[in-house]
Amino acid sequence: MKKIIFYFIIASLVFGETKKWDAHSAYLLPQKRWEMGLFQPFRYGYSESIEYSVHPLWFFVMPNFSLKISQGDFAGFTSASQYKMVYPTPFLNMIAKKGTMGIIAPEFQMPPMLGLSASWLMSKTIFPFISPYSLIGLDLTLKAGLDLGVTFGDLDTRSTIDIPLVYHRLGVYYNKWSIHTGLDIQKNLTQKFTVLFDLDIKLLPGLAEAQTDPDVSKLMGEYSLEHKLLLIWNKSENFRVLTGYKFVMGEYPYGSDMRLLPYIPMAETWVPIIEFQWARKKS
Amino acid sequence: MKKFLSILGVLLILGCDPFVTEFEDLSDAVMYEANSKSDATYDSGNVKVVTWNIRFGIARFPFFGDSCGDDVILDDATIEENMAAIADALNAIDADIVLVQEVDVSSKRTGYMDQVQYLLDNTNLNYGCYASMWKADYIPSDGFGRIDAGNAILSKYELTDAERIKLPLRGDQDDLTQYFYLRRNIVKAKIPALTQGPKDFYAVDIHATAFATDDTKKEHIDKYVETLAEIQSSGNYFVTGGDLNSVPPGSEFDYCLQDICPGEKYEDENGNEIDYHSIDSLTGGPHKEGAYFNNFDGERDLLLPLYDVYDSAIDSASYNLTEHFTHAPSTSMIDDSTATMYDRKLDYLFTNGIWENTSSITHQADWELSDHLPVSAVLDLGGE
Repeated sequence: MKKIIFYFIIASLVFGETKKWDAHSAYLLPQKRWEMGLFQPFRYGYSESIEYSVHPLWFFVMPNFSLKISQGDFAGFTSASQYKMVYPTPFLNMIAKKGTMGIIAPEFQMPPMLGLSASWLMSKTIFPFISPYSLIGLDLTLKAGLDLGVTFGDLDTRSTIDIPLVYHRLGVYYNKWSIHTGLDIQKNLTQKFTVLFDLDIKLLPGLAEAQTDPDVSKLMGEYSLEHKLLLIWNKSENFRVLTGYKFVMGEYPYGSDMRLLPYIPMAETWVPIIEFQWARKKS
Repeated sequence: MKKFLSILGVLLILGCDPFVTEFEDLSDAVMYEANSKSDATYDSGNVKVVTWNIRFGIARFPFFGDSCGDDVILDDATIEENMAAIADALNAIDADIVLVQEVDVSSKRTGYMDQVQYLLDNTNLNYGCYASMWKADYIPSDGFGRIDAGNAILSKYELTDAERIKLPLRGDQDDLTQYFYLRRNIVKAKIPALTQGPKDFYAVDIHATAFATDDTKKEHIDKYVETLAEIQSSGNYFVTGGDLNSVPPGSEFDYCLQDICPGEKYEDENGNEIDYHSIDSLTGGPHKEGAYFNNFDGERDLLLPLYDVYDSAIDSASYNLTEHFTHAPSTSMIDDSTATMYDRKLDYLFTNGIWENTSSITHQADWELSDHLPVSAVLDLGGE
């Protein structure tokens, strides 16, 4: 415990670079600024080097907490480490039921499970140049990390939710661990408009299968690739609107699949993401 | 950059595949072949045909959807065991043509096993065609998940011109339920090796609605009769059959009290729970879906047009005999320890040719392999 406290004190002494709205980058929120969205977590700049976040709507059925700590400059990049913790069991047991919205078959009781994740994030502005509007370049963020799924009881492998976006996020509990990596590229088009391109890869390595069948695909296990493209209108420092799409493809128990999201099943059509985000600074 | 954008564009289009697959009135069936074919050349003998609703290889599992069970997903090892037993039973019957209903090809509930391919690879049958009756990326109810289940024709001889003929959707469901519900079909294929002189030879497989409480079943049987009449009027041969979910004329028609689950009540449109058979003194209603065969005028004689025109494997003198019953819900019990093996006939074989005398069998010894029993018969082609 002492070591952890010591680490936090040291980390908080490292002066991190701060930036508004950059949830997925190595930049932290300015101290005392909070940001939240309809679908995004509540984030708070606790200090210049520590930021935390929680999904408030999910919190009571799926307790979660995330911490981002500035790690200063590393190889010319602004760096940060991020730690996440989630306890999905109450929510999963809520949807393991008979009838409509029974997403998991009712015969399965989900045991207590804890998801732990550690990531390393590195951000920098590449190709900077001066425009009539402002300093414009590409904000690049690289990230990679390890996820652990700790289960305290028997988890039946038939209880997986085999749909894009969900399967690999919960796959860590069945596989015990996973690896994630990705990049974000953000570019200001004008003072008010920004575009964000995001690519994330998640692997559920099949070490056990690879031992009996030494094939690279077995070693990589089931993968998912998520890509997002968003157009952002920054109305002010305190409000912005995002629209765009998310594309998911991957390997599932039934084979390969891909899906453009959000998708409305009964209308059989894709609709654009609409997200509103608000921010304030605590005085 | 252009290449990247093109690839991205294609991926995005592919990412918009329908969540639930709907079908045209007429579409191609999915063709299959055994990975290793057995030697089968038609040598002008008679042709043995089987129909069997295999209940997607879950045998007598207490599945929530069609019995009094609560369970949804069976374990892979048991499914493999059940499918092996079904393949063994088919090998023992040694049919030339097998009409299968309720076969899964990619469903969460059966571990995504392609059961059509499994049966081809583990029997003496070489060719198959499949028509989905339920295909959805995800059914958000009861943990059902992904589903692709339907009907198939399996044959020793090559199949061509395989078609999926759409049957009407249930008319007694709200839009949301109907969207995620079954889309039943008839699957029809030509078997060129069995051509008799100028007459082409067809196999036709159907699985009619089980749970509709309106006259959807009549629409299904009417479409089936129409499909067979087209083949007949073209001067061609057919063998046909399936799970018609209809009892023979003159049969008992109210199985509500046999099929009722412990503590089960009828829920009316206001959500009130009442006892089955407690309100309508004339009809004995309300009735349990799938257990009552007199929902509309004429339902009890729904199969007469088939019996009147075509040759039935189990003729009208025998179809109400216990020895030809083909179905009982998997959880029906006579007492605490004795299962009801069969208590009604729902599965049929017909032809516009002639079945060989005394060749027709209801394979009641296979009752543990499904909640339906296989029916087989031999088509007499001797005269042509």
